[in-house]
Amino acid sequence: MAKQIYDVVVIGTGAGGGMAIKTLCEAGLKVCALNAGRALNPAKDFRNHRMPYDMKYRAFGDPKKRDQSYGYMDNEYTEGIWEHEITYTTAPGTEWMWPRCFAVGGKTNFWGRSAARMGDIDFQAASLDGFGVDWPVKYAEIAPYYSRVERLIGVAGTVQNRPSNPDGDYLPAMNFRCLDWILQRGAEKVGVPYLPDRVAQLTVNHEGHPACHFCGNCTEGCDTGSFFSTPRYLLPAAEATKNLELRTNALAKNILVHENGRAAGVAYVDRHTKQEAEVYGRAVVVAASCVESARIMLNSKSRHWPMGIANSSGQLGRNLCDHMYGTTAYGYLPQLLGQPSFPDNVSTCEIAWLPRWQNLKNPREEAFIRGYSMYPGGGCQEFPETRGIEGFGSEFKREIKRRYPTPVNLGIQAPSLPSETNFVDIDPEVKDAYGIPAARLHFQWGANELKMWEHAKQVSREILRAAGGEYAGCSDHPEIPGYSLHETGTCRMGDEPKHFVTNRFGQTHDVPNLFVSDASVFLNCTDKTTTLSILAFSMRTSEYIAEEFRRGAWS
Amino acid sequence: MAGQGIERREVLRILAISSVAAQFPGFKRWTFACGHVQADSAQIKNAAYAPQFFTPAEYYTMERLTEMIIPSDGGAGAREAGVSEFVDFMVRSDPSLQYKFRFGLGWLDAHSERLHSKTFVALGPNEQNEILRRLAYKKEFREGEEDGRVFFALVREYTVMGFYTSRIGLEELDYPGLKFYSESPSCPHVNDREHLHLPPPKY
Repeated sequence: MAKQIYDVVVIGTGAGGGMAIKTLCEAGLKVCALNAGRALNPAKDFRNHRMPYDMKYRAFGDPKKRDQSYGYMDNEYTEGIWEHEITYTTAPGTEWMWPRCFAVGGKTNFWGRSAARMGDIDFQAASLDGFGVDWPVKYAEIAPYYSRVERLIGVAGTVQNRPSNPDGDYLPAMNFRCLDWILQRGAEKVGVPYLPDRVAQLTVNHEGHPACHFCGNCTEGCDTGSFFSTPRYLLPAAEATKNLELRTNALAKNILVHENGRAAGVAYVDRHTKQEAEVYGRAVVVAASCVESARIMLNSKSRHWPMGIANSSGQLGRNLCDHMYGTTAYGYLPQLLGQPSFPDNVSTCEIAWLPRWQNLKNPREEAFIRGYSMYPGGGCQEFPETRGIEGFGSEFKREIKRRYPTPVNLGIQAPSLPSETNFVDIDPEVKDAYGIPAARLHFQWGANELKMWEHAKQVSREILRAAGGEYAGCSDHPEIPGYSLHETGTCRMGDEPKHFVTNRFGQTHDVPNLFVSDASVFLNCTDKTTTLSILAFSMRTSEYIAEEFRRGAWS
Repeated sequence: MAGQGIERREVLRILAISSVAAQFPGFKRWTFACGHVQADSAQIKNAAYAPQFFTPAEYYTMERLTEMIIPSDGGAGAREAGVSEFVDFMVRSDPSLQYKFRFGLGWLDAHSERLHSKTFVALGPNEQNEILRRLAYKKEFREGEEDGRVFFALVREYTVMGFYTSRIGLEELDYPGLKFYSESPSCPHVNDREHLHLPPPKY
């Protein structure tokens, strides 16, 4: 029997893979998508609208498993969805958290939804401050893709005319809460912008998706699909073309290589049977998320590619970047003491943000280069903040009630700079449960991001105090690398085959029918989140692939 | 606007599904406090809870401690919310807590006997209150009672966890989440953005 050859094999169904699958299927190409986990059933798997007392451990989770939690999105409400048996190692001195969601749609099921465009201040940052290299694209080239993505997924926000943030096409913004108006006034006094966030959460019905009903706890999954996720917004269109075959529980192992060195398909492990299988395609798109994409390609060694496929530059796995997260100030707003409760948690905490304000006029006016943004949080949450309240009895109970609307915090989102010493390679000793060599992480926060952390702590304290708030403290140290789930780099795009893994279209320089369409191709991370940009770049890469097929490149 | 009705129905359908969410057997007041079943409160009073981790004597002390931390105040407190059942369940589920609770309860009784020649639960409310005040308020801390303070902080933490995750605890807070809002909730004080002239505190 002749083996079946698909037009394209796509690894991964997150933002990058999902967009590739939709775009390629709609272009009439036969696609086989590999996804490492199962498909979710929102009615069963998303435990929305459950009160804490509906959960066995009151939403605190099984204590025996608590130290495995990846953070806020991985909790009792999402139990069984995030993977906790991921094998990876860290080099001495490296701490790395690697949250993996193998469900169809990946992390888009639970993402934070902040969705700002990157701009030339990001793409051309190297020209501005002299550090590193520019992206091979200018904003004008990618802007139309951002617009199309925003129309497709729906982003609530406002036009803000800020030099660091190109504006987009927005649905009505989320409304400010009491704490936002108070903090905004404080930020204004300190000279820091405090604006509605750009958030992929539907404030009105949009393209057949129902408007949000503002129940809160969005990062536990949305049962009405009122924010973008691949299974709700991209895969149905792909399935409707009948050009998609989605294989679940198919963990990609390596890229198969033709005798001529080109990509022939993908070898994967069926996680149920633990048997290895192969799927063949005329082109292959890797979108398994940054570290995993690098691991798959590094593990794709052959006569042609002894250092891993498409790695003649030696850059595969290098330049790993991540967002530094952490609470730079917390405290409370006495103005709101004893006031009635208010639904502050309707968008987890994506109502407002403090977009980058540093190094705008002069790229080197601060002690650090580039810049960071911050997000506020607080108010009436699912569980009251009791830090700092002493005692017991009626007075204690009353104070908890009085303080319930008042807590606030600010958190940093600071980009790490690409560094020689931050990268992923393959551990020569360790294999995962399927016999696949494990990724080994080498990563530490650098001086630039630690300066941002110190800067942000000081500014946050000033904002809180200028807003009339009581400052109570900050985190002792930033969250460990990996926590933000915003890894970038490892397969960077650029014009020079000697220095970059892919070209400006995410096409690997070495292997013309092998593409990368996740945040691996980004030159660095910025003060903005990654998902919107992954979608825009993946759309562009996928249309380029479709055009190559039309040209007859690989038929 | 168009189609809004359908989506609202969809949301209400989801709400209806979740209202029959998981029920956990074995808990009496807890179950009642959480509104899982049409509980008959008389029946609950009669049914004795069999602790899963604590000894009956320890459990009795835990009931008293949790009730002192979040009292009923004429309304509902830790006792009504079945907080001691929750703590018992969590300590049973978390081996890292077991020694801390057992040691702390032992400390409390030894301490009470040293002061008043009686176990903690045998003391009158004033004496109990006096002991806890010294563990709970910085101003009243005494040297040599560090172990007691650590234990009290732990009991208080778990009492707060148990109470404010119960139905009556969330009602006490007027928890505004997991509801249906037709638009993104907006600050009601549009003419006072600095919030300097709010109505007097309600609580």
